[in-house]
Amino acid sequence: MSSHAATIDHHHDVTTSTGIPNKKLFMWAFLASDCMFFGALISTHLIYRLHPPPGSPSPQKIFSIELTSFSTFILLMSSLLMALAVNAIQKSHIKSTRHNLLGTIFFGLIFLGCQVYEFTHFVHEKGLTLSNSLFGSTFYTLTGTHGCHVAIGVLWLILMYIRSFKPADAEAGRPWLAVAFFHFLTFVVTIVAGMATVLGYFHARQLHEPLGQFVGQNLLAVGTSIVGLAILAFLGRSRVPVEFGEANAIDVESMGLYWHFVDIVWIVIFTAVYLLEYL
Amino acid sequence: MDANTDTPAANSGHAHSKFHTFVQIAMILSVITGIEIVLVYLPFAKWLIISTLVILSAVKFLFVIFYFMHLRWDKVFCTILFFIGLVLALGTVAALLALFGADASQPLTSQITQAHASASLVG
Amino acid sequence: MDTTAHAPLLAKAQPTVAKRPWLFTRPTAKTGLVSWLTTVDHKRVGLLYGFSALFFFLVGGVEALFIRIQLAVPNNTFLQHQTYNELFTMHATTMIFLAVMPLSAAFFNYIMPLQIGARDVAFPRLNGFAFWVFLAGAIILNVGWFIKSGVPDSGWFGYAPLTSNAYSNQFVGDISTDLWVMGLQVLGVSSVIGSLNFIVTIINLRAPGMTMMRLPVFTWMTLITAFLIILSFPAITIALVELMMDRHFGTNFFEVSNGGLPILWQHLFWVFGHPEVYILILPAMGIISEILPTFSRKPLFGYPIVVFSGACIGFLGFGVWSHHMFTTGMGTVSTAAFSLMTMAIAVPTGVKVFNWIGTLWNGHLQMRTPMMFALGFIWMFTVGGFSGIMHSAAPADAQQQDSYFVVAHFHYVLIGGSVFALLAGIHYWFPLVFGRKVSEFWGKLSFWVIFVGFNTTFFPMHFLGLNGMPRRTAVYDGNMGWNTPNFIATIGAFILGIGIAIYFTVMIYTYFKGVKVGRDPWDARTLEWALPNPPPEYNFAVTPSVQARDAFWFDKHDREQETPGKIQHAHTESAHGGIHMPSQSWFPILTAGGMLIGSLFLADHNYLGAICGGALTLLGAYLWALEGPGGYHVHPEAELKPTANSSGTAKH
Repeated sequence: MSSHAATIDHHHDVTTSTGIPNKKLFMWAFLASDCMFFGALISTHLIYRLHPPPGSPSPQKIFSIELTSFSTFILLMSSLLMALAVNAIQKSHIKSTRHNLLGTIFFGLIFLGCQVYEFTHFVHEKGLTLSNSLFGSTFYTLTGTHGCHVAIGVLWLILMYIRSFKPADAEAGRPWLAVAFFHFLTFVVTIVAGMATVLGYFHARQLHEPLGQFVGQNLLAVGTSIVGLAILAFLGRSRVPVEFGEANAIDVESMGLYWHFVDIVWIVIFTAVYLLEYL
Repeated sequence: MDANTDTPAANSGHAHSKFHTFVQIAMILSVITGIEIVLVYLPFAKWLIISTLVILSAVKFLFVIFYFMHLRWDKVFCTILFFIGLVLALGTVAALLALFGADASQPLTSQITQAHASASLVG
Repeated sequence: MDTTAHAPLLAKAQPTVAKRPWLFTRPTAKTGLVSWLTTVDHKRVGLLYGFSALFFFLVGGVEALFIRIQLAVPNNTFLQHQTYNELFTMHATTMIFLAVMPLSAAFFNYIMPLQIGARDVAFPRLNGFAFWVFLAGAIILNVGWFIKSGVPDSGWFGYAPLTSNAYSNQFVGDISTDLWVMGLQVLGVSSVIGSLNFIVTIINLRAPGMTMMRLPVFTWMTLITAFLIILSFPAITIALVELMMDRHFGTNFFEVSNGGLPILWQHLFWVFGHPEVYILILPAMGIISEILPTFSRKPLFGYPIVVFSGACIGFLGFGVWSHHMFTTGMGTVSTAAFSLMTMAIAVPTGVKVFNWIGTLWNGHLQMRTPMMFALGFIWMFTVGGFSGIMHSAAPADAQQQDSYFVVAHFHYVLIGGSVFALLAGIHYWFPLVFGRKVSEFWGKLSFWVIFVGFNTTFFPMHFLGLNGMPRRTAVYDGNMGWNTPNFIATIGAFILGIGIAIYFTVMIYTYFKGVKVGRDPWDARTLEWALPNPPPEYNFAVTPSVQARDAFWFDKHDREQETPGKIQHAHTESAHGGIHMPSQSWFPILTAGGMLIGSLFLADHNYLGAICGGALTLLGAYLWALEGPGGYHVHPEAELKPTANSSGTAKH
């Protein structure tokens, strides 16, 4: 944790004509563009809901409002954690930043997991596929595109988290790039194994399988998850002085803007795609 | 951590309370989400429920952009920039829905068109 | 203190060049192939765009000549109909996306930072990246010439359901339409990224004293065009995503049998397509707004109104898209609404024309070649505007839609408008970029041949349209009364071709052997002319201090000595160790390469390959981020004049 003599004013960048940091301006312009992007997708969905063709599936019978409400709440909480992460890095609290970043990642993954579960459930149990109806096409494309945005955000968060471990002293011994790559690989493997475990568990519960039987049949996934988490915990405990601090707040803030935007798009989707179908 | 030497007073002042602000807003957002979910099951007129849902979503939207995304404390140009995109997107969505909602745009298989068709056969 | 820009480097007290992984060694070549492949200099990126655009302009021109040969006489058998369809599709796609847009981008890149007194754009590596992605898009669109699928053939606007698998695939495995989809998506990425960069640059990197209302009009038009791009491209992105989902995954967006509405494609496409035509014309209007004042020896008439009109055109341009769809049966109310909006948009356009005339009025006109093209622009663009107004009346458009009247209209605004202005700009800024001036005789000759050829080709098309000749048909029968105008149009096309050939030959000759000129050969008004020709890598030796609109003119005529502001900048920069320059990088081109590979695989329905390409792209982007901004310092001592007031260093 280093605090340099010239404290950075996070509200004013003197090197620019307006005082707004370049990266922040760039991100806001991009988000303005992304509004049109999701606007077009949401338009498509709503247009096709105006006059559903005969034989269209009934969303009310397909949706599980409890699951979607839960994932909406999760995404809102992830937004809170993201805001707290930005707040923390602006004060150079590296550890707090890392915890909040991990929290955001974790909640983002829960959201994605819920979406994977929802999609699988709709396809297998409700018979709604991408191609067998107009509703399926628009629903999966819209929510899937949003899900892709979430996944990109999670990827970015993971990379930012790993970046926060870059040693300040470049000749610390271990080549940092290789460690970072290994760190990233661990994340990927743990996430895949973890998702498989959790989603598999919920599926098993639906079939009323006992926990022991589930663990026995999915030893690889369960084991990999546990080992992965342990490695991540070990890597996360590193106390080496890092080249990451207040100066990087602008990068975390820009990422935060993207993440919050993904959240507000979901606010619109939750209302326009899910809630409106219940009227 | 020296907050008193170079940092502007306003910055350090609201920086400490921002944590609490964020948590409080997260609570408000959760409560509004809960209200929205309950609302759809209440026996009110459709137009009333839809309007309320839209307003509640807009409130959540605005809370996130002005507080979590910091627009309230940033230079106003950021707000203008984002609202250009937002207003244009809303206008385009509205125009497209109006276009496709017009009578002339009904698909031939829709119930309205079929009702017209059978009415003209009878009359 | 502007240490924030350098803050990430503060942790490294000593230079750590020796300890950085070889992966992040920055290329330093200043000449040769590597210097071009890794460039982050906005001037070089501008030249790359310019040369690519001019190449594809010729390609598009050849495609047009083939079309005109086929249409010279009725019932011609020069081309197979399938080839004809490919040619008109590629002619339009090439001219719009690979010629006019990148040529505008060339000017945005080269000239705009100079006009605002900046050293480069806000994100130099991203700027290079935008170019390489553009090149990737150009390759994807044209790769069809070399494979069995052929190039796209469903028109540049790709209407559904013609572009569906059922109607556009000539055989199983025909990926021409998929290539069209991916090519446009990739070009969209390039345009949006470039535009975001320009917006941040214009808003944030202006020299001190350069307020928004002192910006040259060309820079204003760059800004408005950039906004149009970032706000309109998402619509076509989504339309293309939906089309791709239909073609690859069997979704039903435009599948009528499952309730899809092909008209949705038209709406989404034109929500993009209409702002796109303003994207094509606004930069041209910006160039004209620079040339007219210079060669009239007068400031631009009504600067605030010209700027405001440009912004109005941009904004209103989002509200008129369905005037491309008057004959699709939208209903009375919708049709009337769009008709009125289209008439309204003529107002700010007309206001600009009047302001240009006001600029010329009572000016001391110098009829140099750029001025000839500029005057030609005003006249020809206005003619195109008249036919546009005729279209805006929906009942009249019911006859004109899909006829040659439309072809005449848009060629008048696009060639008579955009192309004339871009050709003018090349002549105008040639001395700045290359240090040589084009011969007046040959320049004017090329103008007149182009002017005559252009009008001969397209004026008859107004009558062909009013007499009912439809667009996009490979043959027409001999007893329709269309024979003579078509023949004349073909003659005109070849005259136009000769004019373009003269123009290009003259340019190439001038580049190698033209008369060398000193600084500011036109006695111009804006900051880019303050620089030596060609400008040094760092642009301005000292960041200018702007006092008024037409900053350079003010410098030349209204001040005797350097302002305290400029002296201050010189001190500040030397105190920081000289001018800070961005380092070159391999990652922009490598990341773009990943996109090219991924897109080609995706077009070929090879999803594993697409994922690999995507992974390469992500890897390139990640290493790019880790590489960091880098940077080095230069000391242009030779340029710095001794300062009059050197007592103490000013603190800002």
